[in-house]
Amino acid sequence: MILEARDVTKFYGDFCALAGVSLGVRDGEFVSIIGPNGAGKSTLINVLTGALRPTSGAVRFKERDIHGIGPVALTRLGMARSFQLVHIFPDLTVIETLQAAVVSRLGRGTRLLASLAGDREVQEAALEVAELFGLGGKRHVVARQLPQGDKKLLDVASAFALRPEIILLDEPTSGVSTADKTAIMETLVAASRRIGCRAIIQVEHDMDIVFGYSDRIIALHQGKVLADAPPAAIKADRHVVDTVIGRPRPAPHPTPPAAG
Amino acid sequence: MIRNLVNIVMSGVFHAAILFLVAAGLQVVFGVQKIFNLACGSFYALGAYVGVSAVTAFTAAGGPPWLFIAPLAAAGLAVGLVGVVVERGLLRFVYDRDETFQLLLTFALVLMMEDLIRMTWGTAPRSTAGLYLVYGQARLLDATVPVYNLIVIAASLAIAAGIGWLLTRTAFGRIIRASADNREMAEALGVDMGRVYARVFTLGTALGTLGGALVIPATAAMSEMGIELIVEAFAVVVIGGLGSMRGAFVGALVVGVLRAFAIALYPELEMLLIYLIVIAVLLLRPRGLFGSAAA
Amino acid sequence: MTGRVILALVTLAVLVLPLVAPAYYVLLMLPFMAYAVVLLGLNLLFGYAGLVSFGHALFIGIGAYTGAVLTTHTSVRSLEVILLAAAGLGAAAAMLVGALCVRYVKIYFGMLTLAFGMVFYTFLLKFYHWTGGDEGMRVLRPRLLGFALDAMPKVEYLAGPYYYYSLGVLAVATVVMWRIVHSPFGLCLRTVRDNPAKAEALGLGVTRYRWHAFVISGVYAAVGGALLGPPTGNVDPTLAYWTQSGNIVFMTLLGGFASFFGPVLGAFAFIFLQDTVMSVVPYWRLIFGAILAFIVIVAPGGLMGLFARGRPREVAAR
Repeated sequence: MILEARDVTKFYGDFCALAGVSLGVRDGEFVSIIGPNGAGKSTLINVLTGALRPTSGAVRFKERDIHGIGPVALTRLGMARSFQLVHIFPDLTVIETLQAAVVSRLGRGTRLLASLAGDREVQEAALEVAELFGLGGKRHVVARQLPQGDKKLLDVASAFALRPEIILLDEPTSGVSTADKTAIMETLVAASRRIGCRAIIQVEHDMDIVFGYSDRIIALHQGKVLADAPPAAIKADRHVVDTVIGRPRPAPHPTPPAAG
Repeated sequence: MIRNLVNIVMSGVFHAAILFLVAAGLQVVFGVQKIFNLACGSFYALGAYVGVSAVTAFTAAGGPPWLFIAPLAAAGLAVGLVGVVVERGLLRFVYDRDETFQLLLTFALVLMMEDLIRMTWGTAPRSTAGLYLVYGQARLLDATVPVYNLIVIAASLAIAAGIGWLLTRTAFGRIIRASADNREMAEALGVDMGRVYARVFTLGTALGTLGGALVIPATAAMSEMGIELIVEAFAVVVIGGLGSMRGAFVGALVVGVLRAFAIALYPELEMLLIYLIVIAVLLLRPRGLFGSAAA
Repeated sequence: MTGRVILALVTLAVLVLPLVAPAYYVLLMLPFMAYAVVLLGLNLLFGYAGLVSFGHALFIGIGAYTGAVLTTHTSVRSLEVILLAAAGLGAAAAMLVGALCVRYVKIYFGMLTLAFGMVFYTFLLKFYHWTGGDEGMRVLRPRLLGFALDAMPKVEYLAGPYYYYSLGVLAVATVVMWRIVHSPFGLCLRTVRDNPAKAEALGLGVTRYRWHAFVISGVYAAVGGALLGPPTGNVDPTLAYWTQSGNIVFMTLLGGFASFFGPVLGAFAFIFLQDTVMSVVPYWRLIFGAILAFIVIVAPGGLMGLFARGRPREVAAR
């Protein structure tokens, strides 16, 4: 198990966002977390990435309890995440953003007098990630000027630039047009294979994407795990389908000829 | 012994009464507009100088000395209208900016007002010679306290009560509190923020200018009084809690009385002790005594 | 390309100034150079880390008084030793103050730094047995690179050897800061400024970077402060007053905090404008206050922002 949550509960005052959530992610898995709005998906991601402390329960990353470690240290341990609401560095260019991630990965952040432009390892690694995500041509564009979809891509790309062992993506394709979604997913999968990522967890709403890529799906509802199974089993689970996924609406029939 | 103690405490409370007025002005502006007005000290100085001029003119025109407090207070309040000019003419252009820029704009105001005061009244200190003891002195537990001090303390308490009433019992007060709490919501409910801001800022300014005017008989109007006061006012609002009226009241008492003790016992310490307390408060409880937790 | 040409011209002008200009203007360059060093450091904190300190006069004061104490109370007269001592003391103070302040942001950071600045000012003012109180302390003429030039007339000394020495210090300070800003550290600092949450998600410790920036800026301010002493021969507590802190923030904004050379330009503009205004009328604060108000409202990018309007990419590429 790379990442495990054991009986995680999170209260905001009186409001219960997560109630006894337990899950586990193994090497090589692509896990999708689904659920209606307010189900606790983002809270769960925040707890798993150390950005929030659970009210009770534990999270273990690589067999190690991450209680109180915090996002910075967790990143060093090999975890990376992207955000639901796009998080970029507004005044940095695309390539600078990626360079920052690489600098962090290589632990060169305290090099005060070294030249960034002269650091070939950083330059090449950042460029590689940029090209991988199709941002190569835009690498000198200042992040705040990017279209929304590219900002999202940059957020995800910078997480990948950390070459993490596990990556958590909070709605990686939201704000992206349907046509581009598949392209992004293919890029994600290719990138993770390229960098040797051991597992991917994503929160996603688009069911086609979810069913198309996941090894396992975890359905959350009102802070509890409703189901935790491979796609086929989830599709067959009527309760989950009713609560979370929804049925396709029947296509409108032409009025049948009058019977009798 | 008791006499010294009473003198120290009463002097401290008098200073606190003045400080409260300036700090209250700071708080109401910060609470609603989220701007820390560095120029509050400058308004205090302006009130002082205008007060001196008003009293001097009053006595020169034959006004009875015992009535001097009337033109003094009136002038102090009236010059608060400068706040309207400042707010409409300068401040309103930076409401949507980063707080750093707002702070720097108030610093610009400090610079400008320092010279404007110097240009108008020169650099020599101005005072209302001899009028301080017009009301005589009172005996309090073996010590003598100028009755003027007691009048100012009483006035300050009355104003504190008045502000409390304004905030809790009037429509304007409700609007102030709502805007301080949640500006967007207040706007969505139809509150004209422009007018509210203008009035709030003017109120804050008037409190500062009044404080400056009232302190005149006890000291003199001097060119550095504004920039020196701002750091005391700053200490008051940090200790009391940014945005809180109760904080201004308690904070002013703390700073005023402590300072009086420090001056009497260890003059070198004076403000040093206050600053150390400010640092301690900022490190241990940034929201101060009564500030909101959203620090 | 044009940038380099301008830089070359400016460097040339600065180098030949003592040979062509009247001594008055040459002497005016001395506080400019000292403040330029201070501002290079302050801008690391303001422009690149996004923190506005209202107490940096504290470090200027530390640097200035280091020179005074060393020359009058010890046998040290070497300016190199003074500068190193100032840097060391500035670093020590900045490490301590920074450790306490960088956990806070925006107005609380500003208030904390202002309070620390005023603590030092009060100490300088009140403990007059040690510090000379409001009269300050004298600074004796230091030895430059081992040469004792005590026999030289004051103006000749200041407009000659001392000028070039200060210029040398400024040049070194500029080169070092340029490297810092263009280093991996500089990049990480900017991420912390732009989006602390994302910086953390990338594994960059926000507080740690701010602290480093604070310490570096404190060292620069102390070195600049040490350079301020010898020309007037005296240092006093007003160097550490809060309005002094406000003035240097003003200079940064005046020149333009979003660029490397902006603050240096701001220092230059401030010093020379102040001198020009004061020769006509003593009310330089009124004019400067108006200028600051203008900048804040209309041109927050400062002078460099006005120049860069025609070339927007300058700001991003820095």
